[in-house]
Amino acid sequence: MKIRSNSDQRILRVNLSDRRISTETLPREWTSTYLGCRGVNARLLYDEVKKGTDPFGEENTLYIGTGPMDGLPVGMGRLSIACKSPRGTVAEGSAGGFFGPELRRAGYDYVAISGKSENPVYLSIEDDKVEIRDAGHLWGLTTYETDAALRRDIPDPDTQLRYIGPAAENLVHASVIMGNLNSCGGRAGCGEVMGSKKLKAIAVRGSGGIKPHDYDAFVEAYKVFRQRVDIRTSRDMWSPVWTTYGAPVLARLFTDIGNLMTRNAAEMSWDYDKATAIGCENFLDNYAYKSKSCFCCPTPSCQKLYSIPSGKYRGFKGGNYWAGQPITFGSIIDNGSIDLLLVLSGLCNQFGLDIFHIGFTLSWAMECFENGLITTADTDGIEMRFGAFDEDALVDLMGKTARREGFGELLAMGCSEAAKIIGKGSDKYCLTVKGQELEAIAERNLLMVALGVAVSEVGPDHTRWYPPYPCNPSLISREELQSLGIDLDLKLAFDTRNPEEKGKLLRWFTISRAIVESMPSCVFLVRDTLGFDMRPWWKLFISATGVELSYEEFIKSGERLMNLDRLFNVREGFGRKDDRVPYRMSHEDVLNFGYKKIDDTVLNKMLDEYYTANGWDLNTTVPSKEKLHELGIHDVRHELNTNGVEAGS
Amino acid sequence: MKRIYVIEDLCNGCRLCETFCSSLPQGVFSGQPERICVIKVPGEEKDIPLVHCDGRCVRSIFDDGRPTCVGLCPTGSLYYAEHKTAVEARHLYEAARKEHSIFKFIAPWKWPFPWRRPGEEKARSPMDELV
Repeated sequence: MKIRSNSDQRILRVNLSDRRISTETLPREWTSTYLGCRGVNARLLYDEVKKGTDPFGEENTLYIGTGPMDGLPVGMGRLSIACKSPRGTVAEGSAGGFFGPELRRAGYDYVAISGKSENPVYLSIEDDKVEIRDAGHLWGLTTYETDAALRRDIPDPDTQLRYIGPAAENLVHASVIMGNLNSCGGRAGCGEVMGSKKLKAIAVRGSGGIKPHDYDAFVEAYKVFRQRVDIRTSRDMWSPVWTTYGAPVLARLFTDIGNLMTRNAAEMSWDYDKATAIGCENFLDNYAYKSKSCFCCPTPSCQKLYSIPSGKYRGFKGGNYWAGQPITFGSIIDNGSIDLLLVLSGLCNQFGLDIFHIGFTLSWAMECFENGLITTADTDGIEMRFGAFDEDALVDLMGKTARREGFGELLAMGCSEAAKIIGKGSDKYCLTVKGQELEAIAERNLLMVALGVAVSEVGPDHTRWYPPYPCNPSLISREELQSLGIDLDLKLAFDTRNPEEKGKLLRWFTISRAIVESMPSCVFLVRDTLGFDMRPWWKLFISATGVELSYEEFIKSGERLMNLDRLFNVREGFGRKDDRVPYRMSHEDVLNFGYKKIDDTVLNKMLDEYYTANGWDLNTTVPSKEKLHELGIHDVRHELNTNGVEAGS
Repeated sequence: MKRIYVIEDLCNGCRLCETFCSSLPQGVFSGQPERICVIKVPGEEKDIPLVHCDGRCVRSIFDDGRPTCVGLCPTGSLYYAEHKTAVEARHLYEAARKEHSIFKFIAPWKWPFPWRRPGEEKARSPMDELV
């Protein structure tokens, strides 16, 4: 067995145009500077994908990254998938499963895929044996069919797979990269880029082992970590609820407190019976039959397989019912049928579609239809009305969207692009930021969410500053926070409708979650005090890698990553003007709950606080020279200047 | 004599048991242990722990000597007990999963809150003996 030390990180480079395959070792200091996974991907992307690169061109590189914790029982199998997005921004997404540890056991930490193949191919990695193989027989298959077909080609059941469905093959907006049937990632554009390269799948099998630098210290650090996240010992109320009952537990809670985006977020609460019908109790009692997990996750049942027991969809099977689906296939289109919800969600997995893209684009189309902006002539005869649609037509639309057929062609563009085609002011109904659909979290009564959605470099993505809801501020005192170098008034920061302190809170959440995703581990494990006291994470990292890294430097690595993401975007021309919330959020109050719109005054106050805390220029959002120097990435200044962007003063 | 028992239906396939077990002899996380492995059936429908171990770890990571795999198992799919206790525990699990959906996914002895069986007046306290 080949034993890997944890201090070096290796890249496997594959050029699909000329079929060149090579490996290289990253500079050792990168492990302390960028940690790994998302951090290293951000640096590689910034250095290698130049300004103005065509997202669907040969020069755009798709990076699939693991990191020093992957393969150890803290990494949770996380992957960072990154490239330049078709929307022009940085595209980065995190995915769980088992692919990451297998890649590391094969001897690689990153796969960088450049070029474009003329014909469909898949990449096979088996330790040192790396091959680009024909995937003509896989092209056009759904993700489930692809998984089954590849497992016939590669009989070893422990081979790990990542693949795309028909949606990504057809460059459908926000399509995702799937694995383990129901695990997805990369909605910010990574699926589309993988499809443009005609890369259908990656298969990996490794036979090596990973040795932490100091095993005993690692185990001791693991015990502390485990105590904070274990549902029997964590002081965080969400730990047991979230990881057993599941995220749909939020549906009824949200409708009670005005957090449930309903009918394209024109309303913020829903019919209680409908919310109950799609809620977690019904799901657990009648649909869910098996729990699933990512690699070495200490929580019992974050993911579940389900089967529909009766009715016209009887026997339909799928996996995973998160917080997103109750909104995207429930309240936002006013659908109270859990059967239909689970079918639409399951089909998204099979076609490789993003649930948020589909949900919010459907709700946009319904609002346009009800306001006469589109008619049955545009929708292939489908009456697109909230709560009064033809279920079978909606089910058919999943496949049509993935294949870009008929009305599906319009939906496949995503909400923002579709609104440009329709015109007539239909963009007012788009719930998008930077061309990317929102996620399932309300904004007008959770101002940190509004700010997070506005400034996120990849478009709306709550995992970059998870959790979006206030934690219990009594878990950690102000004195403890200050001793950890965090200057935050948590009570004020968690006052959800007061713009004060939101910039500083979001800054800390973004930095700390960037660290977690760079080790990597799972942001859903940021429980108890682990979101503020990063010392358990730090001890895990230094015991596993052996790098000499102070706690302060460890925190700085997260800030470095946050700045690299921002630098990529400003180099492409993004700035304050793009850090916005959707039109509806900034122009309409939530009348029945008394939540005010997020007008310019409120948003600008939060943006100013955020940019100032970060050391960014208030107009261009370019990090200051001093900040770049402090972070040790002043070498990017030259790059910025030659691209016509001045580093802030 | 205590030994490790398995409830296959509860295994979520996380591989925490085999990953940590593989590290105990030489400090290398390989996922290729001799004493326990999790078989995964394509299609994600089944995860099957196979145990070939008397429960006495090369070195347990727990101070009380519990088998490492049992102590780390998040769902209670693995438990360590005398035969009589194991039979009782299995009966309790089979009954509980019919009474509360949550116990389709986690063993009653892993659930951290009090819970009540139909017909019982008193809620059961969280159980520690099999964790």
